[in-house]
Amino acid sequence: MICIIAFVVFAVMAIFSANYRPLAAEAFDCVFRKMTFRKCKTRLDERIKSKITGKLMGHTPKGAAFVFKRFEILSWIFVIVTIVSLAYSGYSTYNYIQYGNCYGPEVTGGFCIYNALEGEKFTELQKKIEGETILPDADDDPAIGLEDAKVTMIEFGCYSCPHTREAQQIVREVVSQYKDRIKFVFRDFPIEQIYGDAFLHAEAANCALEQDMFWEMHELIFTEQEVCGEEVHPEDHIEDAAKRIGLNMKEFKKCMKEHRYKEEIEKDFNDGLKAGVSGTPTFFINGRRIIGPKPIKAFQKIIDEELEKAGEI
Amino acid sequence: MGLNPEKLRKDFPILDTKVKGRPIIYMDSACQTLRPIQVINKINEYYNEYPVCGDRSQHKLGKRVDEEIAKARKIFRKFFNAKHSEEFIFTKNTTESINIIANALKFKPGDAVLCSDKEHNSNLLQWQIKKDIKHNIFEFGNIEDFKSKLTKNTRLVSVVHTSNMDGTSNPIKEMIKIAHDNESLVLIDGAQSAPHREINLKKLDADFFACSGHKMLGPSGTGLLFGKKEQLENLNPFLVGGGTVEESTYTTHHWEPLPNRIEPGLQNYAGIIGLGEAVHYLDKIRLKNIQKHEANLNKKATDALGDVVDLISKDQERAGIFSFNIKNLTPHNIAIMLDNSANIMIRSGAHCVHSWFNKHNMTGSARASFYFYNTEEEIDIFIEEIKKLRKHLT
Ligand SMILES: Cc1ncc(COP(=O)(O)O)c(C=O)c1O
Repeated sequence: MICIIAFVVFAVMAIFSANYRPLAAEAFDCVFRKMTFRKCKTRLDERIKSKITGKLMGHTPKGAAFVFKRFEILSWIFVIVTIVSLAYSGYSTYNYIQYGNCYGPEVTGGFCIYNALEGEKFTELQKKIEGETILPDADDDPAIGLEDAKVTMIEFGCYSCPHTREAQQIVREVVSQYKDRIKFVFRDFPIEQIYGDAFLHAEAANCALEQDMFWEMHELIFTEQEVCGEEVHPEDHIEDAAKRIGLNMKEFKKCMKEHRYKEEIEKDFNDGLKAGVSGTPTFFINGRRIIGPKPIKAFQKIIDEELEKAGEI
Repeated sequence: MGLNPEKLRKDFPILDTKVKGRPIIYMDSACQTLRPIQVINKINEYYNEYPVCGDRSQHKLGKRVDEEIAKARKIFRKFFNAKHSEEFIFTKNTTESINIIANALKFKPGDAVLCSDKEHNSNLLQWQIKKDIKHNIFEFGNIEDFKSKLTKNTRLVSVVHTSNMDGTSNPIKEMIKIAHDNESLVLIDGAQSAPHREINLKKLDADFFACSGHKMLGPSGTGLLFGKKEQLENLNPFLVGGGTVEESTYTTHHWEPLPNRIEPGLQNYAGIIGLGEAVHYLDKIRLKNIQKHEANLNKKATDALGDVVDLISKDQERAGIFSFNIKNLTPHNIAIMLDNSANIMIRSGAHCVHSWFNKHNMTGSARASFYFYNTEEEIDIFIEEIKKLRKHLT
């Protein structure tokens, strides 16, 4: 039994170091030919068993006895664990090829974390939202594409989050590739914990929506994300931006002052929480989640699958 | 005067080093002994100072090799108390020495060879594969059986002196006498006796005697074949070539005198000279002392473990060999565990005496073999580790 792991382990090591090649060959022999017990030669499994027992004997004779007497079962467990971990490695390799990381579409390194439970800002990723997660819908949020498309891609984003900004380029590509077949919806998830001006930006975009200029404002805020806050006061920047895209400034200022869309944004945020969003950007493509700015392949794969499911391909 | 292992151990550089963080406890000397610094230096001396051919070259370095080789041969003669130093032939081990006799001794069809039932493969296969002679076997140590198996056709008695498997010895002096009375020649496999007890070849009167240098502090791949002069001269040419003839034409040759005619080609000069130094070292500490020290160590182990393990032989005299089994553990289990738990290095398996184990329905044994550099403290650790295995694993 141990021969199997030994073979796998030594075979892998043999790729990197010639020292392990004879051992791998021996393990191969042990697995496939069931070596006969020659008196001048030890079976590999017996040797490994004795070696481990001997080493333990120096420290804990009882432990040594335990291993010695239950070696067969222990090696079975080992084999299973090895196979499972190999399967995971295989899966990770697949993910790496498909999505550019080892974990699949759901996880990424580039991600603005919203920590719902602790005051601390950058603690570990947490998703402990009470109750069941409820997948989000498009609600009445700004959308691009085919109104009654079979595939809906919803983004929860924060205007002040650099990773959301990073994802915009990918979103643009996806939207331009699929615009007549999918519907893209942007919903607000301002992470105020980290970015003090996040909410303000969301309000600005919503106030622009009122004047049918949502996407213009949306693009501009992301494009000028770095300028804002560093060199110019956020409020001034927003007003300036509104002016530049040609909004009716009186209406806009009023809308901002009244916080007309506060509830709308909060609803988006809460829907996000309910859906298990823990940071931005998080995408839902017909309910299938992609977290963080992923290579476009990851989006294409899921969208194509969903289109196919819907009979659109 | 006894020997002082602590002092002698200082000559063995390996005993000063650590393997995986702890000192080694080397108990596999029946396979190969460790080598003292004197031997290592002597080998280096050859390579550093006169790394050239022996017995051919007239230049100074060549002459130096000849001198050193002659010195080594003299050391062997003295150590084994032989009549002539040219009675020692250099080989690469006991195995080769016995093969030379098996192939070069003049046999006639119908001749028989008599061996014990505890021979190393090195003194079994040669006789098994020889088509035209009979291979007879007597029970090791049993003089009556020996006598009964000795016939008029017994051309050669080829017998192990001390068994590497369990350390017991044949009464070879008596056997040689009986064999000679029967007009049979005698070849002694002294691989395990030469390093551990005094061998007086004149007194023993053996016709041939084989041993290995690496089992007696010498360089690896060195061995000796002693033969009485008249017997060596009478051998058929077997391995021949450069150095074995004084003269040759396309159709004729003229043999060199002994020992050259049996030492074809260039030799392992560093090995021979190193072996000379090793034998000189043994001679200085006296084989009697070594034998006594080993017996003490073996007695200590036997007293403590006699009831804990199954000894292969309960014989009182087992030289430095402690060969045993533990219920439910294979010999290899035991050896690997001792190596990993306390750096105790022993042998396991059939020790190339498969025939005996097969006859007794056993797979083999674990074998600790002691030498003069082993100490009582090491035996204590060995005892303790064996007891642990027995207590916890069986
Ligand atoms: C009794 C005996 N004979 C012969 C041999 C063979 O010696 P070598 O391998 O040095 O030729 C050994 C070695 O273990 C031995 O113990």
